[in-house]
Amino acid sequence: MALILHARKTNKNTYKIFITAEYSGVEVKLAPNFEMGVSNKTPQYRKMNPIGKVPVLETADGPIFESNAVARYVARLKPDNALYGSSLIVHAQIEQWIDFSTLEIDGNINDWYRPRMGQAPHHPPVEEFKISALRRALGALNTHLASNKYLVGQSLTLADIIMTCNLYRGFTRLMTKSFTSEFPHVERYFWALVNEPNFHKIIGEVKQTEATIPILPQQKPKESAKQAQPK
Amino acid sequence: MALILYPGRNTNKNGYKALIAAEYVGVQLKVSEDFEMGVSNKTPEFLKMNPIGKVPVLETPDGPIFESNAIARYVARLKADSPLFGCAPIDYGHIEQWIDFSSLEIDANLRIWFIPRMGYTPYLAPVEEAAISALKRALGALNTHLASNTYLVGHSVTLADIIMTCNLFFGFNCLMTKSFTSEFPHVERYFWTLVNQPKFKKFLGEVKQTEAVPPIQSAKKPSQTKESAKQKGKDEPKKETKKEAPKAEKPADAEEEAPKPKPKNPLDLLPPSKMILDEWKRLYSNTKTNFREVAIKGFWDMYDPEGYSLWFCDYKYNDENTVSFVTMNKVGGFLQRMDLARKYAFGKMLVIGSEPPFKVKGLWLFRGQEIPQFVIDECYDMELYEWTKVDISDEAQKERVNQMIEDYEPFEGQPLLDAKCFK
Repeated sequence: MALILHARKTNKNTYKIFITAEYSGVEVKLAPNFEMGVSNKTPQYRKMNPIGKVPVLETADGPIFESNAVARYVARLKPDNALYGSSLIVHAQIEQWIDFSTLEIDGNINDWYRPRMGQAPHHPPVEEFKISALRRALGALNTHLASNKYLVGQSLTLADIIMTCNLYRGFTRLMTKSFTSEFPHVERYFWALVNEPNFHKIIGEVKQTEATIPILPQQKPKESAKQAQPK
Repeated sequence: MALILYPGRNTNKNGYKALIAAEYVGVQLKVSEDFEMGVSNKTPEFLKMNPIGKVPVLETPDGPIFESNAIARYVARLKADSPLFGCAPIDYGHIEQWIDFSSLEIDANLRIWFIPRMGYTPYLAPVEEAAISALKRALGALNTHLASNTYLVGHSVTLADIIMTCNLFFGFNCLMTKSFTSEFPHVERYFWTLVNQPKFKKFLGEVKQTEAVPPIQSAKKPSQTKESAKQKGKDEPKKETKKEAPKAEKPADAEEEAPKPKPKNPLDLLPPSKMILDEWKRLYSNTKTNFREVAIKGFWDMYDPEGYSLWFCDYKYNDENTVSFVTMNKVGGFLQRMDLARKYAFGKMLVIGSEPPFKVKGLWLFRGQEIPQFVIDECYDMELYEWTKVDISDEAQKERVNQMIEDYEPFEGQPLLDAKCFK
């Protein structure tokens, strides 16, 4: 049975998984006719993921949710995958950057993004705080990338795939050139990676946003809670 | 060289994750003794280990590792074929999924609830409410899973259980009372079973569930004056019971010197109006009889359409209003959050209908020709209503204004369940 991913095609979490699959020589198919907010509310879907969020990977042995977990699983399907490094310490460092990119980068980007999209109440002091936390994280990342081409070791690992996909939402919707110019090594890293063939194949042409997206009025609270924006 | 853990505070649940994992795989971790939170993690040596300067960090002979889950995974892997990772690839996938779920869905929301109450970030009731709601959603999903599973994955403790339990520990210990968690009995059963396992108990000790949600502390910076809402005893934070509706907040790094004069409200800069809002409010409150002849007539006599504007509002989601007192509380919460506009507004909110779904409609008088921008920015309820400016040359609209001011029943053919006044 092929691996089937229930997700929207153009979501950065979907990109994560497909790029990982590309590097690992694993075939993943997108579930046909997936409709966000509809397909993930059925009882069948809830059996796969009790919280009803997206994406979910269907495998012959059962379903997996949480995009990073899916990416890790896919990477592991290939024995001795270079994406995972070859020693315990390298492995741990890959894990540390995966978590960092999720909690410090993606977390703050999402908290900036979702209220502006009307999916959560918008509060200027909260937004300001999140942007400040994001800057702190980008600063730390910038320091690390000043002397490292990749996050871990000398070649691309799963950490780079996840980090780049998490940065993608930031670069294309929120962070203008004047914002990211404070972090030149992060800029250099991001543009180098999105132009790698396996990334470009999945994501396509990437353009940095010219302005932060405007604040949209809040949508119906109940709906937005159920149709959870994939993390 | 030993493995040295810098946990930050020794009671940090993130440190326990690694320690418990180490116990399960039979590995010894040395906990750094001279570590001083806020000092030791800011040195150049520490920043070389973790450029963002957070804790915990594990020092190994092969290099440092940060991020508590990554450390726990590393420790768990020190034993080949560790049972903490399951046997088959799918088990591994499931363990990873629950580790991520416990961090992003449980821990993240607990922290959003906790940190503002400790005064480290501005406290905003709607933000807390959203976090609690998201947390409940996650606990509900977890509860469903644990209804038919003793452990998260397979039939024994895995790394997912260690991390989930440590994250829940923070919640049970500091935030979630028995009445909160009783909605999730399988989560309760799971939690108490695991914290009493010997390897957990060795580090967590005797675990007690908190009896109350911690009160909201004032911001830690000395210059912050007013943000501490006085929390009377414990209560499940509900929108409607928050007495201190947060006013427009300055950023957390506010100035240190004596409070600056407040920035001028643009409405103060409008040309003076003959209408004095307070006079209308007095007239409204003091008129006990002949309301229509005295108060309503008086209103139109003093109304200045250049300096003020009237607005109808209509709640967009009336189909949610299925429980009467919840609906009334919702409106009450809205009016509390409008507190920041008191000098510039008067409002009447009506809850209409004899049976659910109840309709919520309102009438508002604002200084100026537009709904004030600072109100839209600071009061999140505004976006939940459709707003239409009243055309006072239209007699029907004028009459509607009158009826809403005087709580006229039946209103548009229906009885009034409740009428609240903002003045």
